[in-house]
Amino acid sequence: MAAKEFRRRIRQALDNASLRGALGRFADSYVVSREEVYAGRDFEALRKRIAAIKSDAAGHYEELAAQFTQAVEARGGRVFRAPDAATAREYIYQVAKEHGVTDIVKSKSFASEEIHLNEYLQERGLNPHETDLAEWILQLMPGERPSHMVMPAIHLPKEEVARVFSRYLGEPVEPDIKNMVRIARRELRKKFLTAGMGISGANIAVAETGTIVICTNEGNARLTTTVPPVHVAIVGYEKLVPRLKDIVPILEALPRSGTAQPITSYVTMITGPVPAWQGDGEGIKELHVVLLDNGRTRMAADPVFKEALQCIRCASCTNVCPVFQLVSGQVYGYIYSGGIGSILTAFFNSLEDAADPQSLCIGCRRCAEVCPAQINIPDLVLKLRERVVEKQGLSSGYRIALHGVVAKPKLMHTLLRAAARLQGPVTHGRPLIRHLPLSFSDLTAGRSLPAIARVPLRDRVKCLEQPVAQPRLKAAFYSGCVIDFAYPEIGESVFKVLNQHGVQVVFPQNQACCGAPATYAGDRDTAIRLARQNIAALEEARADVVVTACPTCAVALKQDFPALLAGDREWEGRARALAAKVKDFTELVNELETGGPQEQSQRERPGQAPGMVPGIAEAASQQEQPGSPGPGGQPVKVTYHDSCHFKRHLGLDQVARQVLQRQPGIELVEMQESDRCCGFGGSYSIKYPEISRPILERKLKNIKESGAAVVAVDCPGCVLQIRGGLDQAGSPVQVKHTAEILAAGEDKGATSGCKEPASP
Amino acid sequence: MSQKELTATFTRQAEIMGAQVVQVARVGAIAPKLVEALRPLGSKIALVDSPLVQTAGVERALAEAGFRIEKDGAAFARQADSGIVQFDYGIAETGTLAMDATDLKTRLAAMLPLTCVALLPEERLRVNLTQVIEAYLEQGGWPGYFTLVTGPSRTADIERSLTIGVHGPERLLIVLVGEEGDGNGR
Repeated sequence: MAAKEFRRRIRQALDNASLRGALGRFADSYVVSREEVYAGRDFEALRKRIAAIKSDAAGHYEELAAQFTQAVEARGGRVFRAPDAATAREYIYQVAKEHGVTDIVKSKSFASEEIHLNEYLQERGLNPHETDLAEWILQLMPGERPSHMVMPAIHLPKEEVARVFSRYLGEPVEPDIKNMVRIARRELRKKFLTAGMGISGANIAVAETGTIVICTNEGNARLTTTVPPVHVAIVGYEKLVPRLKDIVPILEALPRSGTAQPITSYVTMITGPVPAWQGDGEGIKELHVVLLDNGRTRMAADPVFKEALQCIRCASCTNVCPVFQLVSGQVYGYIYSGGIGSILTAFFNSLEDAADPQSLCIGCRRCAEVCPAQINIPDLVLKLRERVVEKQGLSSGYRIALHGVVAKPKLMHTLLRAAARLQGPVTHGRPLIRHLPLSFSDLTAGRSLPAIARVPLRDRVKCLEQPVAQPRLKAAFYSGCVIDFAYPEIGESVFKVLNQHGVQVVFPQNQACCGAPATYAGDRDTAIRLARQNIAALEEARADVVVTACPTCAVALKQDFPALLAGDREWEGRARALAAKVKDFTELVNELETGGPQEQSQRERPGQAPGMVPGIAEAASQQEQPGSPGPGGQPVKVTYHDSCHFKRHLGLDQVARQVLQRQPGIELVEMQESDRCCGFGGSYSIKYPEISRPILERKLKNIKESGAAVVAVDCPGCVLQIRGGLDQAGSPVQVKHTAEILAAGEDKGATSGCKEPASP
Repeated sequence: MSQKELTATFTRQAEIMGAQVVQVARVGAIAPKLVEALRPLGSKIALVDSPLVQTAGVERALAEAGFRIEKDGAAFARQADSGIVQFDYGIAETGTLAMDATDLKTRLAAMLPLTCVALLPEERLRVNLTQVIEAYLEQGGWPGYFTLVTGPSRTADIERSLTIGVHGPERLLIVLVGEEGDGNGR
């Protein structure tokens, strides 16, 4: 469980209406303006270039640092390579002391905040003045935390800023933004003209020329590096690139991804010392570049986390993060926020410091989609989680749940069956649990939970009759826990639809939880144990294809198992063989209907594919009755929710829409933000119900506004979350797995012969 | 891109980014244009000598029109209303100006006053940043202080409300100088 202080900060952020309003408005407009500013550009090609440049640089920091140093020194500048924060601070302090500096102007620098430079200099009697407007405002508000990496004061209403300025000036200031900006210009101009030293960061450092590149809109970095006679630039090793031409793609992406601008007002490139006013005449400025390590070379040597050094600090990952939008940078607690921030914090601070921040990632993968440096942030967060668990162990709740229950499938299934019998007092005979008593009540606030099925799918399949005379395929169905124990009817629909398409389906009884709850909790041991059990169980079925109807399970089977068992001589090959056989249900249906993946793009109508089993083609073309019968033969309006793993891991978002569109009686209508997370995230909704709930509320609003009667989903987890939310909202909108919608249009296929047991 | 297309694209992009662009057909037309444009913006001018400034006789024309011109000193450009500098290149793609600003006065005149006047020969327009970087590298030696300027100084730090003129100029006036008649001063 997250630390108390961390929980308190989350609560505080969620309760701060102006913070949530400002971040929410920004994030909404950001998505649109980012699209516009990248229009006509090949973003994928651009980010590949950046990733290649930065990844290559991360493999050669030593050489690049040496080359950079040589180039700067050749021009008469000095380079100090600081192994850690303490030596960097001390060096900068000594430079200031040597020159008798009392006042310092600073342009925005993450690195300086990372090393807590201001506090250090202040304790020694120096006055560092932040000159970026937002940074200055925050500096005038001791104790206030930055809410965003690029726009740190985005959460402050103008009235608050006016109060801060009034206090600073000792006179009343009206909350007029233009006027307050003029005040900042006037006050900070005095600092620029009198400071003895300027401190800047850098966005890029070019090794071949010894150039540092700084982007600003306000123009404060130009003044910081021009007016005072001494310039200190603090540059993390990760800013190094080999060649001058490498800056072009970074400058193309940084402002576009950061603030949706084609370019910042100013891009300043400084190469060695330049002329400056030296008190009595023009002289040459003194230039010091502090190359900061502070965990970076350790990170570069780490085969997993080296990737995070590709980051160009645009913060686009946080701009699209549904969690960040609610809690802001203020809760993360360290200078770098969001998912990428937790990874950087683990190396620049410590793994312990990253433990709480990393736990905020819901795993929706939106950040990975927009990262201009092509960093797989969500996967890195999971790797980080594993390391946190390795070092700190699982929290007791997780330990009991994962080691004691999930890792022991027989016990887990026995407990679930027992729970199905004992849940009467909370279900009141309904399929949904609306309220849980006592300390569990948060789990059903804003979302009902499904009752545990009286008869799980694993038992129901024993009585399923499958009318498939000459099967064209044999499929093993891997249901996953949610379908098995909460929504067996989804599983039955899978059987029915696949039977209809001429596929014989078996249910390997030894299958167990896919291990995703363990993987996402950082419990690698349990995940490995479950991977082995499932591989063995699914091999026994000797099926042509392994079908899942849960994208999280599909990702576990296809990607996690081979990764977890990599290097295991007995199991790696078996994991790969299994992974190659795994197909999502909807993906398989699409291939069966269109004659295979290679042909599906050309063929819209089913039943015409050469090489298709004739019976299937006829069956497919005979589906004239509506998928979900609407009154008076009117098509039913269906809207599609993109499950995070289904779209961003499996890439099947368009396939699902094609399958649904082929279904007669359905009118597909798009909702706003269809690919925005529903807030489930597996155990996330249990760990952070206060964050999960507002994410769900937004999804429900979008669903309602779509005017659809049915929400189609390809993930049982999303079914659980959205169905539960709509139930508590008293909405008539139905949530159905694609399998259920297709099954409603089938007239043949598996039928259940099982009887519900009598109520206890 | 033809010269005409370069000019059109550059002008459109620079204006989108908040700059004002005026075109003059020849060098001789610069000074009268400046007198007209700067008159309402204050009389103190920080002027940096450059080929265009000299060929166009900017200093004399402004002085005759009653402007107070400063060209150096410890407080250079600190109190000026406008600064006049010549840029090296324009980048059509983003409406950006580029220059080697290693010279201190060039920097101060472009940074400190509320108005920055940027003179640029039209034939110095290029398509993108890569072309400009290549042009400097071909000349040999990378500048000590290289600067790209796109539009005026801006901030959105308070309530994301776009506000012009924080630490740099609130007005960027680009004078694009054509080649008609009397040469372009380069």
